[in-house]
Amino acid sequence: MSVTTSVIDDLRAVVGAEFFLTGEGLAAYRLGDRRPHAVLLPTGEAEVSKILALAWEADLGVVPWGGGSHQSIGNPPSRYDLAVDLTRLNRMLAHEPGDMTATAQAGIRMADLQRRLGEHGQFLPLDVSMLERVTLGGVLATRLSGPLRCRYGTARDLTLGVRVAHADGTITKGGATVVKNATGYDVTKLYLGSHGTLGIILEATFRLYPRPEVEHGWWLAASDPATAQAFANRILGSHLLPNRVELLEGVAGRACGIPGPGLVVSISGLPETVQGQFVDLDRMADEFGAAPTEIRDAEAAWKALSDFPWSNAAWAGSGTQALWRGGVPPADCAKAMQVIRQAAPRGVEVAMAATVAHGALRGGFRAEAPEALVQSLIAAREALVGLGGYLVVLKAPEAARDTIDVWGKTPTGLEVMKRLKTAFDAKGILNPGRFVGGI
Amino acid sequence: MNDSGIVPETRARLIRDCERIIGADGVISSPDELRVYDCDALTLFHRCPPDLVVLPTSTQQVVEVVRLCSAAGVPIVPRGAGTGLSGGATPQAGGIMIVLTRMTRILDLDVPNRMATVEAGCVNLWLTKAVERYRLFYAPDPASQAACTIGGNVAENAGGPHCLKHGVTTNHVLGATVVLPDGEVVRLGGKVSDAPGYDLLGVFTGAEGTLGICTEVTVRLMPQPEAVKTILAVFRSVEDASNSVSGIIARGIIPVAMELLDRETIKAVEANVKAGYPLDAGAVLLIELDGPRAEIEAEAVGVEAVCREQGCLDVRVAQSEEERVLLWKGRKEAAGSFGRIAHHYYLQDAVVPRTRLPQVLREIEEIGKRYGIKIANVAHAGDGNVHPMICVDRDVPGCEERALEAGSEIMRRCIEAGGTVTGEHGIGLEKREYLRLMYSPADLDVMHRVRAVFDPKGLCNPGKIFPDGEERAGGAHSLTHAAAVVGA
Repeated sequence: MSVTTSVIDDLRAVVGAEFFLTGEGLAAYRLGDRRPHAVLLPTGEAEVSKILALAWEADLGVVPWGGGSHQSIGNPPSRYDLAVDLTRLNRMLAHEPGDMTATAQAGIRMADLQRRLGEHGQFLPLDVSMLERVTLGGVLATRLSGPLRCRYGTARDLTLGVRVAHADGTITKGGATVVKNATGYDVTKLYLGSHGTLGIILEATFRLYPRPEVEHGWWLAASDPATAQAFANRILGSHLLPNRVELLEGVAGRACGIPGPGLVVSISGLPETVQGQFVDLDRMADEFGAAPTEIRDAEAAWKALSDFPWSNAAWAGSGTQALWRGGVPPADCAKAMQVIRQAAPRGVEVAMAATVAHGALRGGFRAEAPEALVQSLIAAREALVGLGGYLVVLKAPEAARDTIDVWGKTPTGLEVMKRLKTAFDAKGILNPGRFVGGI
Repeated sequence: MNDSGIVPETRARLIRDCERIIGADGVISSPDELRVYDCDALTLFHRCPPDLVVLPTSTQQVVEVVRLCSAAGVPIVPRGAGTGLSGGATPQAGGIMIVLTRMTRILDLDVPNRMATVEAGCVNLWLTKAVERYRLFYAPDPASQAACTIGGNVAENAGGPHCLKHGVTTNHVLGATVVLPDGEVVRLGGKVSDAPGYDLLGVFTGAEGTLGICTEVTVRLMPQPEAVKTILAVFRSVEDASNSVSGIIARGIIPVAMELLDRETIKAVEANVKAGYPLDAGAVLLIELDGPRAEIEAEAVGVEAVCREQGCLDVRVAQSEEERVLLWKGRKEAAGSFGRIAHHYYLQDAVVPRTRLPQVLREIEEIGKRYGIKIANVAHAGDGNVHPMICVDRDVPGCEERALEAGSEIMRRCIEAGGTVTGEHGIGLEKREYLRLMYSPADLDVMHRVRAVFDPKGLCNPGKIFPDGEERAGGAHSLTHAAAVVGA
């Protein structure tokens, strides 16, 4: 409720003055037009627990903070007293290559995590944007995903268990550290994608995959969106095991170094595997009047694809920007993208990509005026809702946020969600007001 | 009989109301017929008939029955085919059992999107058979798939031998229509992924029917692989076999299934179905690879190399579909074959990290020797899921007690090895006390809070999952001897 001097003193005492930021240090933690009274950088779960216990007692609004790379998602907090920066909890706690599992603290940067796992020839197939900045906790709390979900699934499929600090400072665990577990409720699933509103993720155990021996990617030009979709359906319904099947549109393609609209497909594994599947892919491409073109600088292309639309240097030009993600049934990706492009007002630059296997769309608009962005977002949302889907605004200028609800329509089961929020955080101190339905 | 505390007048009224909602042919109320529903596939731990059984044919009927129960304060026991192994579909103390087996339709087959929507009573195998001609299949394939229902699979987050590569039920469920314990209907998920909000579908899956009843389920279908290769590797010892499992995984090969059977299991299987398992083997590994042809050919070379490194006696590749089916028949009928070697057996379901499998199987053998009882092992070795089958001869005094103690010790060893209490059978009634071995009171409190949100009155499948001092036992065994003693 109020940030008294005594609470401030108690909080500072938990982490030490060096890791207690005020004044200038707060600028980096702005959300909307709000900044916290203080930022704390705890070193481990014991400190996180103490911080939360104090915040609970004093009824302070708390924002968990990782790399800060994706904090534009959601509403600004309705009250913002403290930011708890988790980046000092950045250790790899366990890696069992023989079990293909690993456990790491939430504050580890995804790029660091992958480097460590790579030492044993393994990786966590979460190819999200801004790997050098985003933390494991941030990825899990927002349930971000990347193109590799086509083959490996999302954080939902890869996370085996979590340790969480609750609003009152209690620490609990959910799930297990083995790949198969049917013991009690799968509470891990509740924390993933909860945007820190049910608890602060402290560490997570996840399953790993072997780094493939080789990986190749191809661009398959398509004469029109319907053809591209049909081709994607064909690939995804076949025996092929692609890592990525992405539908790219114009600007998005160029941002990733792809010559033009169409599909991007990548396949990995043993050399014989990839070669054998390519032969089949080539034959399918014939059916659709396309010829696969090998992507030369594949590593750079994959990075660009994962970073799209958040951080692509190829978005030249002035103007303001809005980013979004959405969902439709997989077979409707091309249609959705077509409608979005047609509905965007003149002068708005449109860029979109789809991870076809799951109907996961993402994209951005760039325009001179925020009003044009708002129009584009509203039209895009209408298009996706019309196909039975949804659109979430990931990033937009302040002016735009006043006129459009970033989360979109109320989800079914919102009443149950609100009751869960109350059960986990009765005082509403964790990321208050940032989530769907005002949670 | 049962102990639900429902007085005769209330029961009579409930019967009348249910008959009005569903029709008399959808309501079972005679004691003789109710006895059929007094347990699931866990037959000897706790048996208790429900007060009433209803067999609805629509979501709306389920809603109305649930509302009745909520108003009357009567427990609800959801049930599919009743093939569960932990007592999930056994009433703890009476109540109205809502059996979904008349709701079996496939409502929607969406081939371009590779999805299907079925009623909860649709049998698992029927779904795969129905989509075969589109070269699709439904991946989670528990051993009971010819009988179990999709709704039951959702409740238990069912696995199966092929879930090593393809995942378990929760990885394949996209949406569900759920009737909450107060009668409200929520449609969770659907054909569109990652809609914002809490993952209610994720926590509902595997909640063992305690958070509500699903009446319709939307699932992901997978394309059939190009090729399948089934290999039987024969070993001198369980140790060599389980070391091979680790070795195969360490090479980066993920077979679609890796099943381990030890000497005792092989003997039982061969006496029953003659699958062609060698009787002089210490253990066999049934390994299946699926995927693009070039990939599985390369993987098969790797698999054979690993097995030979571990000194295997033989590596046999199934040369025909018939041979493949026969090899699998042996595995799928392993549990059923136990009637040949024991009158009763206590079947466990624990998971350990794959790399600890050799150690744990050694410990299980040592425990068997120490307690003087025969323990046979079948394991989904690929994901460290062991099914020790502890043989019980009830004619020998003290044998059953020793079996239970041995089982308890095995469970503790598995947890000490970093494992979990159940990989796929669920907690149900059977393993409630073991939950405390894995989770602290604070951890369990989180689950209690979730349950209270969905089911504030505590009427939805009460007595399942959570150790609870106030639970009424109702059966011959006390709670501390929770055991799955299965009659042959």
